[in-house]
Amino acid sequence: MQLPDKNGYFGEFGGKFIPETLSVCLEELTASYHKIKRDRGFLKEFNYLLKNYAHRPTILYFAANLSRLLSMKIYFKREDLLHTGAHKINNSLGQALLAKYMGKKRVIAETGAGQHGVAVATASALLGLECNIYMGEEDIHRQSMNVLRMKMLGAEVIPVKTGSRTLKDACNEAFRDWVTNVRNTYYLLGSVVGPHPYPMLVRDFQSVIGKESRRQILKQESRLPDYLLACVGGGSNAIGLFYPFYQDKKVKFIGVEAAGFGLNSLHSASLVKGELGVFQGSRSFVLQDYFGQIQNAHSIAPGLDYPGVGPEHSFYKSVKRAEYVAVGDDQAVEGFKLLSETEGIIPALETSHAVAYLKPLSKKNKGSLVIVCLSGRGDKDLDIISKYKTEYGRSDKEIRGKK
Amino acid sequence: MRLEEKFEQLKLEGRKAFIAYVPYGFPDIKLTKEICLRLQDSGVDIIELGIPFSDPLADGPIIQRATSAALQKGANIEKCFISLSQMLKSLKIPVVLMTYYNPIYRYGLKKFFLKMKQLGVTAVTVVDLPLEESKEYIELARNFDIETVFFATPTTSKQRLVKIVRQSRGFLYYISVTGITGPRNLQYSPLIKYIKQIKSISKIPVCVGFGIHSRAQIKKICSFSDGVIVGSSIVRFIEDNYQKSNFLDRLQSYVKSLLLNNV
Repeated sequence: MQLPDKNGYFGEFGGKFIPETLSVCLEELTASYHKIKRDRGFLKEFNYLLKNYAHRPTILYFAANLSRLLSMKIYFKREDLLHTGAHKINNSLGQALLAKYMGKKRVIAETGAGQHGVAVATASALLGLECNIYMGEEDIHRQSMNVLRMKMLGAEVIPVKTGSRTLKDACNEAFRDWVTNVRNTYYLLGSVVGPHPYPMLVRDFQSVIGKESRRQILKQESRLPDYLLACVGGGSNAIGLFYPFYQDKKVKFIGVEAAGFGLNSLHSASLVKGELGVFQGSRSFVLQDYFGQIQNAHSIAPGLDYPGVGPEHSFYKSVKRAEYVAVGDDQAVEGFKLLSETEGIIPALETSHAVAYLKPLSKKNKGSLVIVCLSGRGDKDLDIISKYKTEYGRSDKEIRGKK
Repeated sequence: MRLEEKFEQLKLEGRKAFIAYVPYGFPDIKLTKEICLRLQDSGVDIIELGIPFSDPLADGPIIQRATSAALQKGANIEKCFISLSQMLKSLKIPVVLMTYYNPIYRYGLKKFFLKMKQLGVTAVTVVDLPLEESKEYIELARNFDIETVFFATPTTSKQRLVKIVRQSRGFLYYISVTGITGPRNLQYSPLIKYIKQIKSISKIPVCVGFGIHSRAQIKKICSFSDGVIVGSSIVRFIEDNYQKSNFLDRLQSYVKSLLLNNV
């Protein structure tokens, strides 16, 4: 079975729910993508950039200390070691190159944590494209380092003051810009969400994560892993890791969403707690109220703070190919510290959700072989962590003092 | 009255349609009813009533603000139907419901059309439901005899246009610009060209919306189309004036000042 089908559906999920103005542009994008996918010049240039600019392949690192601690065999796919510090660069280089091949001079993008924004600004600087990044005002405060990076790279960062002033609103603004400037502008969407062909296109550019991991684990362990583990906001690093293992039915997929303040409070767990809806271009699970109004999400990790999720994940959930769980802010902060202290690797807060789930997973799976997608590095989050208070209202320093 | 009948009547009278857009629940639910009645009294031909959605990605700042205010006032699809059932006792001009797809999807497509049918609201248009995703929507609308208004835009190819007009009922909503809703200057020559193209393939009335805010624009556009849709400007007028005394009278004279037949 080919996923998605020609109308952009993964089973009953996906599609193209967009204003008429964008219809022709999405058709054009789909056609261009199918063309360059087989274009030798494009592939040569893309692979050259992945290797020599982004620094691929990334290593598959065996985490000996953490493995000993949790009695599992844990490997990390080190996307945090890529240029700009997260998996986002894989997709940004691919799409920016596509934009260039399509003759577009201007690129726009939305960003939450700023990692996608930085990756787009980077690719635009490299390829000589004008770059505008939409970012929620709330996130601009939370991730100021990334804002400075984007500006340094020559991008204009446009603050979004509507709605919850986070990722979903940045996405709305990017769509509004695109509807207005559609003829000369390329919308470089950062996750496997939005209307067809984006969920397919972003997945394809990110599936290098899973392809390399599969090859590497077979070489290092002479077998396939028992589990693949990745955090899910929109879901691009997770799909990138999962998709190349889709046919390996014995490999179990676990996507970790953000439970934020808790699943009965504000959170971002669209797959675990959301319901079927049509949001930002596709049919998928979404956090919404009884009347179909989209609800505000929350996560300590700005990159997961999104009420929707990629349609391919909704499909994996509905056919039970993947399991989705949720991890709250507190646990994520624990995961952040756990990896930093045991392995000397500071993960992004987004990634920390996947790290945090290793503990509960290890309880019933001693000896299992697990690959975790270490989707990004955590330098950007040190500010959030240092200000973070636990639910008991004690600062981190106070807790440490009592140890 | 159905849109189809309305346009026949307008044709006989040699007039063009003035369609006024207002979001349901703005500035509040009670005032919406009075606003709609005043629009009718002002001489508006058709009311386009927006059911608010939290993420209106085709709308500019004016309608975004109004929508979010309406949601805060508790506007939703069920209350909208309740208000309509009361309003329609005195509202004799056609009402077109306009919304994004998710509120309808959640309500249930069939239930939505059934409710419209029961109330006697005959037309609907959905911003983010392009033709490709409309199969079930069109089938059900036909079953319930609901008129489906679709959009065409400057980026719509001729091939698509042919398919779109075939599924359009009532009128075709032509979006004047590539962009979001909100007042702006318009260029007429490309607009004239597009409308001619549509007229060459179909007899369906074509009304132009997005950006329209002045009587001069309306006069010009009505010279080559079948009518206009005015949204953001009316919404902004409401926003600026609803707290003032004699608001409804002010609204009525503002809308009258835009109408061509009230010189």
